[in-house]
Formats: sequence, structure tokens, C-alpha cells
Amino acid sequence: MTAHVLPPAPAVQRPRVLVVGTAFAAAASFMVFVGLIGIYLAARADVIASGTAWLPKGVSIPLQQPNTMFITLIMSVFTMQWAVAAIAKNDRVNAYLAMGLTLMLGIATIVMTTYLWYLMELDIASGIQGVLIYTITGAHIVMLVVAMIFVALMGLRALGGLPPLLFFGTRWLPSMP
Amino acid sequence: MALTDTRPETGTDASAVAPSVVPSPLTIFGTGDHKAVGTFYVLAALVFGIAGWVAASLSLGHEVGSNPFLSGSTAMQLGQTSNLGLILLVIVPLFLGLGTYIVPLQVGASTVAFPRAAAAAMWTWLLSSGVFIVASFIDGGFGGSREKSVSLTLMALGGLIIALLLGTVCVLTTAVTLRTPGMTLDRVPMFTFSMLVGGAIWLLTLPVLLANLLLIWVDHRYNGGTTFGAGAIQFEQVSWITHEPQIYAFLIPGLGIVADVIATLTGARLGQRNILLLAIGAFGVLSVGAWAQPAIYPSASDDLLWQAMGILMLLPVLLLFGGVAKAFKDGKPSLKSPLGLAVASLLLTLLAVLAGALLAITPLELRASELFATGQFVLAIAAALSAAAAGIGYWGPKMTGGHSADGLGKLNVLVLLGGGALGGLSLCVVGFSHRFTGLDGAHDALVGVSSIGCLLLALGGALALLGLLSGARKGAPEAAADAWGTGQTLEWACPSPPPTGNFGDLAVVRSPEPLLDEEA
Repeated sequence: MTAHVLPPAPAVQRPRVLVVGTAFAAAASFMVFVGLIGIYLAARADVIASGTAWLPKGVSIPLQQPNTMFITLIMSVFTMQWAVAAIAKNDRVNAYLAMGLTLMLGIATIVMTTYLWYLMELDIASGIQGVLIYTITGAHIVMLVVAMIFVALMGLRALGGLPPLLFFGTRWLPSMP
Repeated sequence: MALTDTRPETGTDASAVAPSVVPSPLTIFGTGDHKAVGTFYVLAALVFGIAGWVAASLSLGHEVGSNPFLSGSTAMQLGQTSNLGLILLVIVPLFLGLGTYIVPLQVGASTVAFPRAAAAAMWTWLLSSGVFIVASFIDGGFGGSREKSVSLTLMALGGLIIALLLGTVCVLTTAVTLRTPGMTLDRVPMFTFSMLVGGAIWLLTLPVLLANLLLIWVDHRYNGGTTFGAGAIQFEQVSWITHEPQIYAFLIPGLGIVADVIATLTGARLGQRNILLLAIGAFGVLSVGAWAQPAIYPSASDDLLWQAMGILMLLPVLLLFGGVAKAFKDGKPSLKSPLGLAVASLLLTLLAVLAGALLAITPLELRASELFATGQFVLAIAAALSAAAAGIGYWGPKMTGGHSADGLGKLNVLVLLGGGALGGLSLCVVGFSHRFTGLDGAHDALVGVSSIGCLLLALGGALALLGLLSGARKGAPEAAADAWGTGQTLEWACPSPPPTGNFGDLAVVRSPEPLLDEEA
């Protein structure tokens, strides 16, 4: 039996591998938080239904810090998109600047989260509330740190001299046109 | 170059020499080749499978008679560890390994998307699996008494879920973005489509399991195990992945394997293919079970949605039966072992789904006994194992370059079908004992039969492993590119085993069976 020999195919425009892969990974990350927040809401509803307040006495969650974190993270979306656009144009200076700003915004969010923990005065061993709140916010910080490592890695590769398109794009993927 | 990029030296070069089937340690540790990564997944998962079924057999056998040979705590941990292990260390990685190897070939790609990430996922899974097994053995299973061992088990489980998710992202991205020209989503081979559906369901549900594990770990580690981390309820929070409907999510790629094997080995195009694709999609949708967590939502099984999902699951399986029956009618079945294993898998799937439908009928009160659900679990996992064994037998010549001993495969048909039926059905019968008092006296005998069934399933895993290795042995009959002579999909257009880059130039695909078009 011989191998099937087929005539050549024309070049094809494929979806972007990195975008699709990132979308799948983002969906999985999102589902971790869907799971955590679903359990949080179910536990909170049970506690409130039993006639007690959700947060232990003396504990309060101020809104200023979470709002600041929210706005900071939204800003990082724009700076990251700025980095992507700069990389696509091989604009090294703007890529450094945008990635540096993104890292700074990430650090600011982590600092604000830890400040929020300090203000809340919630002991992790205080019960189900402490476990849920620290797990959700902690998981968020872990995700943020992983993203920052990825951005830092890209920045280091750019400093090392690789043209930006090669460290971010899919040019090496042999099957891509 | 980013970590996720392919090294330039792994670019397309169909003229390159085919890699060795059993790569050297240096190659295997450093490779991003999807074929080596996939092979390693399959080999390791089969070994874990043998151990997992033996552990399941021991935990069941312990219940037989009045002199248990394990302590109650040990037997409970062994049973829970084997249940989780059979899913996360055996079935998911078996399908993921086959997917990593075969999906790029089926869609005409030169490599898997993000090959280094795929390799990293495999090594992380393997390392985490090892830690999980060791930690479980040192009293670290769910509810174990050694605090640090339990923490280790939870972290290992988290690591292996992340690894499996990463591997799944690579396979799904390959199926979505690297298809050869003309291969629209409705033309992808059934296995690739089922990996797409199954992988998507895994991506949506396994992270929820990770969330459960995170809460258990944080509570166990920092809150003294008073809420989520309390020993008695640790396993209850993750048990939803071993129950209906989530358990079906781990069968989905098996449906695609069964369809591909039967199409090729009957030599017939699958009739009403779009309906079969729809059936696999419906099977996937009906298997989303992360919402039905008994620890969070105790009355989930009384929910109409839960019961409807359990009963409706019969429909896609019956549709698949119809499609397969038509292929048998239209074609000329070649009585090779993968065909027998595919049929065995389909039968076991039908039994599992039937058991699930009975479980969903409230007046039968089968949910009162955990044994009926355990029987359904055994049937479902045996169906998945049979499908994986069919896939290994079917693509074995492609993977090893040699034909495996078909006698081993035929023996495995009997072993897996018998093991699955004995292991699962006997527990389902015990589940009826609250309705038929005469069954009380047969409890020990039936559980003993189930324990023997699990041992047979361990033997089935060993036979699948031997079958794969027999194709790689010196002197095995050399496999042609189209090893069965009736191949329909693109993986049979490249040499066996495929060289680096897999293919030369490929034609535009004009139907789901491009090789039949070429012959016509």
C-alpha cells in the first residue's frame, strides 16, 4: 500500500492561533471565578437566610479600594492593547513604554488589594466568609501575577534584541502563511 | 520568540526521516513534537489505568465478607482516590494524548498549536500525577489524617487540572485554527469534532473543580478545616465530577473515536453525518454538570433540569447507534479488533446512559443508594476506556509504524466488555436492594463480582498497552500510510509513523472523507 499523494493546496487565511488560544485560556480562567463566585453567593445566601449578617461583627468592606482596582485594571487593558499595537508595528520604544506601564498598573492593583485586606480586618480563620473572600481575591492576584510574568517575559525578550513581531506573533509557526 | 512559539527548526519538512517510535530520553524530555507528547500521555495513562482499576477493585473487595482487609478510612480514601484518578490520570489524559497525536494529523496540520505548551502540560500532568499518588499513599487522600499530605494531594490535583486544561487549549486551538484548506468545521473527522466538543466542556467545567479544590485547600491550610476543608465533606465537594451528568463529559471524545473506527473498518461513509455531529454536540451540552454540586446544592438531583438531562441523554446515544448501524449495513465490516472495541464501547455507553436515565427517575428511589451511582460510574469509565483502547488499536499502526497483534485486541474486546458489564451492572443491581429485599443476601456476592470486573478492566488496560507496544516491536508487520486500506481521513495520507511536519502538500478538502474523494 502506498501513501496517498495529493496535489498542492493554495495558501489559506487562518484564524490567529494566539488569539484563539488566548480566548480558550481566558474562558477557563473565567470559569474558575464563576465557580468561586457561585459558591460565594450560595454560602452568602445560606448565611443570610439563617438570619445572621454575612460579614462578622466589626468587619466592613470599603468600596473605594475595589473601585480604584477596577479602574486601574481597565486602564491596563488599554496599555496592553497599546503594547500589542506597538509590537505589530515593530515600534520598540512604544512597546517598552506600554509594557512598563501595564506592569506598574498590575503592581498598583496588587498593592491596593493588600491595602484592602488590611482595612477589612477580616481574619481568614473567622469562618466561611474569610475563606471565601481571601480565596477569591487571592486567586485574582495569582492570575494577575501570572499575566505580569508573561508581560515581563515579553519585555525582557525585547530588551534581549528579538524583533517584537517574533516574540509576540506566530511567525515561527511553520504552518502559518 | 515566545515560549508558546514553535522553534524554527521544527518547521514543515515532510522529507525528513520519521522519528523513532520509542524516542530516546533526551528527545522525549526536550521535544515539542506532538507525536512524542501524545504517545507519552497514552503510555503513562495506561499504566495509571492499570493501577487505578486495581485500587478500585481493592476498595470494593474490602466490603465483601465480615473481615475487611483494609481499615475503613483507608478503603474510603482508596475508593475516592481511584475514582478521581480514573478520570484525571487515565481517561482525560488518554483522550488528550490521542488528541495531541491525532488531531493535527486529521486536520492536515504540521504540528499542534503551541507545541511547547503542549509538552509543558504533559510534563506538569505527569509530575502532578506522581505527587498525587504518593501523597494519597501517605494518608493524604480526602479526609486523610496527615495534614501536610492532604495539602500535597490538593495541590497536586490543582496542578494536574491546570496541566490538562493547558493541553486541552492546545488541541482545541489546533482544531479551530490549523485546519487545511477546505476543511470546514462540519467536515472535520468525528474524533476531532468530539475533541472540540469534549474539550470545550472540560474547559468550562474542570476550572470549577479547581475552584472547589482551592477552597478546600485554603480552608484546610489556614482555617483548620472547619468549613470547606472539613475532612468528612472534602470529597463530597468534588464528587460531582464522578456523577451524572458530568461523568458523561469524559466519554465525549470516545464517541468520535467509535464513529471514525466504524466508518473506516466498515468502509462506508457515515450516513446523516450532520445529525451525528449534532448528536455529539447534544451529548456535550447535556453533560455539563458543574452546577449540580451536592455539597453546594443538595437538592440538585431533585431538580427537573437534572432529571431531564439524565433522561434526554439517551437520545444522542440512540442517534449514534442509528448512524453506526447504517454504516454496518452499507459497508463491509472488517472484523478487526478496533471495530470490536468500538462496538463494546458503544454498548457500555448505552448501558451507562440507561443507568443514568433510571437514576433520574425519582419514584425508583435509586439515588438512595450510592452503589447504583458507583455502578453507573464504572460503566461510563469502562466505556471510555474501551473507546480509548479502540483508538489505540486503530491508530496504533500510525503511531508505531507496525501492526499490533490483533489477537490481543480481540481478547481485549471480551475483557473490557465483560469487565465493564460485571463491574458496573452488578453494582447497579445492588442499588435495587432497597426495593427487593431478596437482594440483601446477594450484596456481598454482587460487590465481589464488581470487584472482579474492575480487575478485568485493569487487565484490559494492560492488554491495550501490550497491543500498542507489540506494534513497535522489531519484526512487527510494517504499516502502510493507509494502514487499514480503507482510510477516509487525512491522518491516513501521511506515512506511518508521520515524519517531522507530518505532510507534504495537501489538496483542498472537499468532503469529510477526502481520501475517498481522491480514490473516486
